[in-house]
Amino acid sequence: MKARTPKLTSPSQPAQQLARLLHSQRKRLNSALLLAVTASLLFILQCYLLAGLFAGWLIASQQGIPVNSAQLLNTLPSLALCLLGRPVLQYYREHLSLAASQHIRSSLRVQLLAKLADAGPAKNQYGNDGSLSSKLLEQVDALDGFISRYYVQRYLVLITPLLLVCAIFVYSPLAALILLVTAPLVPLFMILLGNAAAAASQRQLQQLSRMSGRFLDLVRGMATLQQLQATERAAQSVANAAERYRDSSMSVLKLAFLSSAVLEFFSALAIALLALYLGLGLLGILPWAKEIIPVPYQGALFILLLAPEFYAPLRQLGSDYHAKAQAEAAMDELSPILQRHAWQHPGTQLLTLNSAPHISLQQLHILTAEQRQRLAPVSFSINSGGRIALQGPSGCGKSSLLHALLGFVPYQGDILINQHPLTGLERNHWQQQLAYMAQYSSIAAASIADNLRLAAADASEQQLIAALQQVELWPLIQKLPLGLNTVLGERGRGLSGGQLQRLALAQLLLRNAKVWLLDEPTAHLDGATAYRLHQLIGTLSQGKTLIIVSHQLHGLDWLDQVIRLDNPAISHIDGAQYVQA
Amino acid sequence: MFKPESLPTPERSIRLRSLLHSRSRAWLLALLLGLVTLLAAATLLALSGWFISAAALAGLASVGAYGFDYFRPAAIIRLCAIGRTAGRYAERLTSHYAALGLLKDLRVHSFTALAQQRHSNRHSADTLQHLVGDIDLLDQFPLKVIAPWLWACSLTALVLLFWYLLAPTLLIYAAPCLLLALALPLLTVRRAKVLAQQDTDASTQRRTLLLEPLSMLTSLLLWQRWPDNINRFSGQDKICLNLQLRQQLLISRTALLQQSLLALSLILLLWQGSALVANNLLSVPLLLAAMLALWALHEALLPLCQSFIALGLSSAARDRLNRLTDVSAATPLNKPEPAAPLCLNVNRLSARQSGALVGPSQLSFKLQSGEVLLISGASGSGKTTLLQTLANQLAFSGEISLNGLPYSEWQLSNTVGYLPQQADLFDLTLAQNLRLAAPTATDAQLWQVLDDVALSNWAKSQPLQLDTLVSEYGAAVSGGQARRIALARLLLTQRPVLLLDEPFAGLDPATTAHLLDTLLARQRNGLLLIVSHQQLNVPGAKQLQL
Repeated sequence: MKARTPKLTSPSQPAQQLARLLHSQRKRLNSALLLAVTASLLFILQCYLLAGLFAGWLIASQQGIPVNSAQLLNTLPSLALCLLGRPVLQYYREHLSLAASQHIRSSLRVQLLAKLADAGPAKNQYGNDGSLSSKLLEQVDALDGFISRYYVQRYLVLITPLLLVCAIFVYSPLAALILLVTAPLVPLFMILLGNAAAAASQRQLQQLSRMSGRFLDLVRGMATLQQLQATERAAQSVANAAERYRDSSMSVLKLAFLSSAVLEFFSALAIALLALYLGLGLLGILPWAKEIIPVPYQGALFILLLAPEFYAPLRQLGSDYHAKAQAEAAMDELSPILQRHAWQHPGTQLLTLNSAPHISLQQLHILTAEQRQRLAPVSFSINSGGRIALQGPSGCGKSSLLHALLGFVPYQGDILINQHPLTGLERNHWQQQLAYMAQYSSIAAASIADNLRLAAADASEQQLIAALQQVELWPLIQKLPLGLNTVLGERGRGLSGGQLQRLALAQLLLRNAKVWLLDEPTAHLDGATAYRLHQLIGTLSQGKTLIIVSHQLHGLDWLDQVIRLDNPAISHIDGAQYVQA
Repeated sequence: MFKPESLPTPERSIRLRSLLHSRSRAWLLALLLGLVTLLAAATLLALSGWFISAAALAGLASVGAYGFDYFRPAAIIRLCAIGRTAGRYAERLTSHYAALGLLKDLRVHSFTALAQQRHSNRHSADTLQHLVGDIDLLDQFPLKVIAPWLWACSLTALVLLFWYLLAPTLLIYAAPCLLLALALPLLTVRRAKVLAQQDTDASTQRRTLLLEPLSMLTSLLLWQRWPDNINRFSGQDKICLNLQLRQQLLISRTALLQQSLLALSLILLLWQGSALVANNLLSVPLLLAAMLALWALHEALLPLCQSFIALGLSSAARDRLNRLTDVSAATPLNKPEPAAPLCLNVNRLSARQSGALVGPSQLSFKLQSGEVLLISGASGSGKTTLLQTLANQLAFSGEISLNGLPYSEWQLSNTVGYLPQQADLFDLTLAQNLRLAAPTATDAQLWQVLDDVALSNWAKSQPLQLDTLVSEYGAAVSGGQARRIALARLLLTQRPVLLLDEPFAGLDPATTAHLLDTLLARQRNGLLLIVSHQQLNVPGAKQLQL
């Protein structure tokens, strides 16, 4: 039920967003539609030519006139045009559709990346990095079917049958009527099919992700399962989950397929009915029209050849329907990022800091986009070179305060840097003078030197070594056979958590920033390692204006001040005293 | 309808050919039903055409209703209409049933294969996410490769037979182009395989190029390095899109050529047919039926054009799956289990985590039953690596021997119990999580062990008690509690050797003391090795500083 609630409140939202996305590629998509309609017209012409050809032959052979090849030769050029023209049109239609889809997808990715860059450290409110990247890659690619097939098919499903009925009407109003009688069923079945298929695929997707979740959960814990000798029981659980998934999705599929089977049945029935009506008519034994031939042979054959095509687009739409459901599900996932209210840091002033600045917060108040409170109003100031810690229960807005200082979050009240309001500063310029460190460090799968040069592109080797010496990593790295050129694995694999944070500290040192903002840099480290890192930060950050968010004050006895954010009256506690208490 | 098969034994790696074996009857039925459906559709079209032409001929000749048997063709037409509908419905149900069964088999297969690996914990979450995706890709092989080819070949053979029965010369003129159209997609095999492989590699590369900058977004923004990182990602994205385009082009071009060949075949059929009609060797209604049969073949031949892209993707998925689930050497299970009293002897031991730059080196110590070893040392000094080595999870140099025999000579899975720092809890209830270790444990035993790890009060305060859902993301369980649940689970296995990595992290002194007492009592006759950064007061314990 939970997953369905957002659907109920905004039923057409993903559909609207999809439509907006398609807007930029309308030209290509409409051209694709035009090609498809032209192909339908060629098909009508092809049937007309063939019907004429066979009618000529039939009459000739009936009357004993020898059939000559002249008739075929006359028809041949236009017939060949139709026969070869349709695949060519189809080829270009596919090409245009894919081009449109690729344009939309890559521009959507750019858009999403811009939104994430705009969110900065707050990006993780939309998911962890793994799920963000699968949103940007897989979920965006999941739109392909909708853009490249479903969009054109949705129009074709109305246009093609209409064209065919018009052509048939010329020869036999009754035959057109037979098709039209079954056609009301077209919109009806579109709705039926649509609802059934949408609900079915939605449920199926949910079930599938639940089953995958169970599988993933167990595989991730494989080491533990092996330890406990429980792998056989777990394999049984995997088998049971898959079995349950099959049973439940089979019952859903039965319904979903049934609706398309009914459609199929009407299409088969219409062809059979037409064949009988036309055949009996040609024999002159229709009960209501004895001895009369209501539709002559040429027309009859023409109609018969066209009839299967009447339902073909609808059948195609039915099988493409899951593309739409998939795209809507993907849009649901992406829309929180896309709908992020873009906030632009307005200032233009270039403030270059030559020494650690004085920072003053006056009634700083941060609200979320939904106007919920993220940080209750707070005022305090830090002297030039002052070093403070922020504490408080999770969710009290400690990180948001840092994000505001970084220039990523709009706020109310004032932040003054050496008496200059922060919003008046040019954001890029301001950010270049900041050092920021979070729980997980910014280490790429590259060499140690390259990682350090990410922070300072033109640092000399001497400077790198000096920074590493300061963070006490040089003795270790010196001993490695490749030294500075040792390549680290994904997310810095090869170094321990504490060593990685030291490397991150070396990056900060190379920037020589005057303001340090640290967001729980030791949260994932054990007590002893955290203690040593805290001490190291104390040694290296002398003379900087520093704010650290930390749960534990272990090793932070060098702080000037600890500020608790849960208390409405901000309490100022001397750091050393607090640690002892 | 089908009996659930027993779990397959994952001795060999997955082969595409054998994908159809485990569910052979279901697949056979699905393939047969699909064939019947296509045949019914072709017959419906051809017979309807013949019927109205023959009727027109009879009508013109004034034979009228008296000489023309219209009941039988009409009945067959109706039969085909029903056959087509019912056939497609049944085929879709059966093939989905079989595909879902295949999915189940593959999941169980790869799970069991992973379970047989000794060091499966090295796979990152991302790799495992891919594993799930790869398994889902494999059902493309029967659905998009085998079935279309089988149907297309059988139907083509039937159409050719029909033409032959009408007039052998029809076959001579029209068959070559038709056969070429059938065989044409075969030319794409190698190209498609290469493209699928490139596609897989490029996608992996693209993922890395996105994931890395994303994980360090804030710093990159501050350092003004975000744009060039994202440009690199966008460049790779273009490469991926371009590969996709080339796959699509391959499919589209094959389809275009195939349709042209079919068109040529149709024209040749009409050309030869008109000559036959002129010589009264073939009637016009039958020529029409011959042409419509060819027409109906389009539906069966078109899916072939993309079959080899699907094949390429399936085999790439299979390769990755086999690489991941590769069981290098099955360990023989007839080794003896060590008996108490135990004596652990470690001599000049060195070990590294895979990819790690440093690790413990040249360690030596000795431990007897009833003794406790407390291991301490700075972060990165290799405490965890040491425990993993002693848990028989890492390769090492030096010697570890138990009761005088080297580690490798013992069957240790019932002897050594290891509690890692990051304990895995599964998305199951508390009781189910605990019973993973001891399936037959009574509720009373579960309560006892929860009491031992000082969790029974917490469990009693939960509304569902033992049936409380504990998952990694469950709000009810904190990190410290999760660790203690994992410890309780480990204690249920009653292993004589316990290796515990930071079991007291985040606990208050009273709970730590209670837990330590329990552990000492339980391991009175076994070995207890504890890694901890806290000072622990254990009289008589050996100390190891790394």
